[in-house]
Amino acid sequence: MPGQNPDDIAIIGWSISPMERHTGKTEAQLLLEVVTGAVEDAGITRREVDFTCAGSCDYVAGQAFSFVQNIDAVGAWPPKRDSHVEMDGAWALYEAWIRLQLGDIDVACAMGSGRSSTADPALIYPMEMDPFYLAPLGADAMSFAALQARALLDSGKVTERQMAEIAARTRRDAKESPYAQVKGDFDADALLREDYVRSPLRKHDLPPITDGACAMVIARADKAKELCPNPVWITGFDHYAELHYPGMRDLRESRSTTLAAKAAGIGEGAVEVAEIQAAFTHEEPLLVEALGLGADTVVNPSGGPLAANPIMATGLIRIAEAARQIRDNGKHRTLGHSTSGPCLQQNLVCILEGN
Amino acid sequence: MAATVESTIKFPYKRSLGPVLGAFMTALTEQRIIGIRSGTRVICPPLEWDPNTGAELAHDFVDVGPAGTVESWTWVAQPTIQHPLDHPFAFALIRLDGADTAFMHAVDAGSIDAMATAMRVAPRWKAERKGHITDIDAFVPGETPQGGGGGGAAEPVTMMDYNASITYNTPVPKNVIRGDQANAQGRFLGLKCPICGRTYTSGKGFCPIDTIELTEEHEVDLPQTGVVSNYTIIMPVQYPGQTETELFSRVHVKLDGVDVVLGFQPLIDVPTSAVRIGMRVSAVWASEAERGDLDPRMEGNLIGWLPTGEPDVEDPDLVNRMP
Repeated sequence: MPGQNPDDIAIIGWSISPMERHTGKTEAQLLLEVVTGAVEDAGITRREVDFTCAGSCDYVAGQAFSFVQNIDAVGAWPPKRDSHVEMDGAWALYEAWIRLQLGDIDVACAMGSGRSSTADPALIYPMEMDPFYLAPLGADAMSFAALQARALLDSGKVTERQMAEIAARTRRDAKESPYAQVKGDFDADALLREDYVRSPLRKHDLPPITDGACAMVIARADKAKELCPNPVWITGFDHYAELHYPGMRDLRESRSTTLAAKAAGIGEGAVEVAEIQAAFTHEEPLLVEALGLGADTVVNPSGGPLAANPIMATGLIRIAEAARQIRDNGKHRTLGHSTSGPCLQQNLVCILEGN
Repeated sequence: MAATVESTIKFPYKRSLGPVLGAFMTALTEQRIIGIRSGTRVICPPLEWDPNTGAELAHDFVDVGPAGTVESWTWVAQPTIQHPLDHPFAFALIRLDGADTAFMHAVDAGSIDAMATAMRVAPRWKAERKGHITDIDAFVPGETPQGGGGGGAAEPVTMMDYNASITYNTPVPKNVIRGDQANAQGRFLGLKCPICGRTYTSGKGFCPIDTIELTEEHEVDLPQTGVVSNYTIIMPVQYPGQTETELFSRVHVKLDGVDVVLGFQPLIDVPTSAVRIGMRVSAVWASEAERGDLDPRMEGNLIGWLPTGEPDVEDPDLVNRMP
């Protein structure tokens, strides 16, 4: 039973901002709302948060050290222990989870925030690539994804129809989610008649551009049980990275995902729901295979990143949605996944369990 | 949609290349593509380490290509300003002859219909090459390299330029707009937190201590007099945008009766040798006629701060106040 060991750590609250194409709010204001929402959800105040860690990206914000202003959102007076990762908020959660295992403090808050609408994501993304061989070519996320999609199509691992059906399914599932930007009933045949945006990818294969943020509160076992009648236990958490340059990897597989999943103990039980950061349709079957999930695992019932993709928060939201399945929907074991880098270079897996 | 302010950030990086990437870039100037041996494999573009073990690789370079086979490709119908070609092209992963890994570059095929997995491509060289990944203009269908001419670099290439530019449209929050409007009228607008009573400039929009949003109902007019709480004397370095040429000062002004400290304000008619903490100052706003001459970085129509001539404030804690 998770929660028996004092070092066990549980999610006790979270909050997700509205998912919008353009927000009028600053990143600090977006975070202010979700941190308030997350601590209220956990039944505490900011005073009781001992450690904060944020994930955001200066190139997205258009400002060096932009996270320095974002700390206003956590109410750092009296001063707080704080950290930042230039990564998705899922990695901020990972750092917070590690930090709580030191045992000297009980409660931490992790955040992820991104306002992608501020500039053209296709111009920002190359800045984060290898600066010698890739960035000077303007190598953007869509092009990388398309190269991986072609490799999967050529190998017969996916089909364009399967990709269109994934888009139709996630958009249909997203109808139930208050945090979805792209939703509705679509017919795969009609989607397949659309033109390519980046062959072999059509518009439905791509994520939307989204502004948004997420915050999550976690606590050590005793505190979690004291504060929360139904804590969601983090029973496994790990991440692996592989080579950066996509031409040096086999793009038809994701070894880092498999390694992270094994390290997180995915095989120790059935996974009822997986919320995975498949921002492009073809990534879903690739990740499902790499995670070793079977047909009985429901994938991205929230609509996933194809419904809303706030860069730097998308992964943390996956973990929040996986936690929601346990706390609010009666599931027992779920999984959140996040990814970073070109063609799924780095992958993180977080296993969650209820009481 | 909210009001936005546009700003363009340039990233003019100069990067040193080291012995492996430098050798690769130098070879490009000679219309050669090289890989590096890693065990039994040849890696192109060359890395400094074995991707499997992380061990440093001996500088055992091998000529590869110049032709190769497309392993995967995508069609870029609408290139961005950062892409190597300004008309539709393909990005491709190309396994150059003699290499065991795939090289990413553009293929100038003319039409998506000319692209296929496993097609053969060869580089089209730029006439002028400087040791940069774009010395290869693009790959083209076929076996025969195109373009080029002239000799290689006289000296080994050791540095490369990378210039990117991104334009941001940042939304301007309502509280900032209202603050700007007040400044245009010769007023400083503040926001007073109803919980802790601290006052902030209108640009903040929230109390970072109590973490609540501050809106119109929390607005207060701030005083126009204060005291210099800190200062710096600046020897201007001629970076882009710097208009000052002589020594100048910037001061922090703590406004009277509130917590607000305005940072990096200009003083008026005070030689740099006379700037000091404790000096009493008063805001000076531009007249209608003077507005055209204002430094655009200043707040509204504020010209700066003029000493009032009152006795200095003696308070050792003044310097501890931060904006």
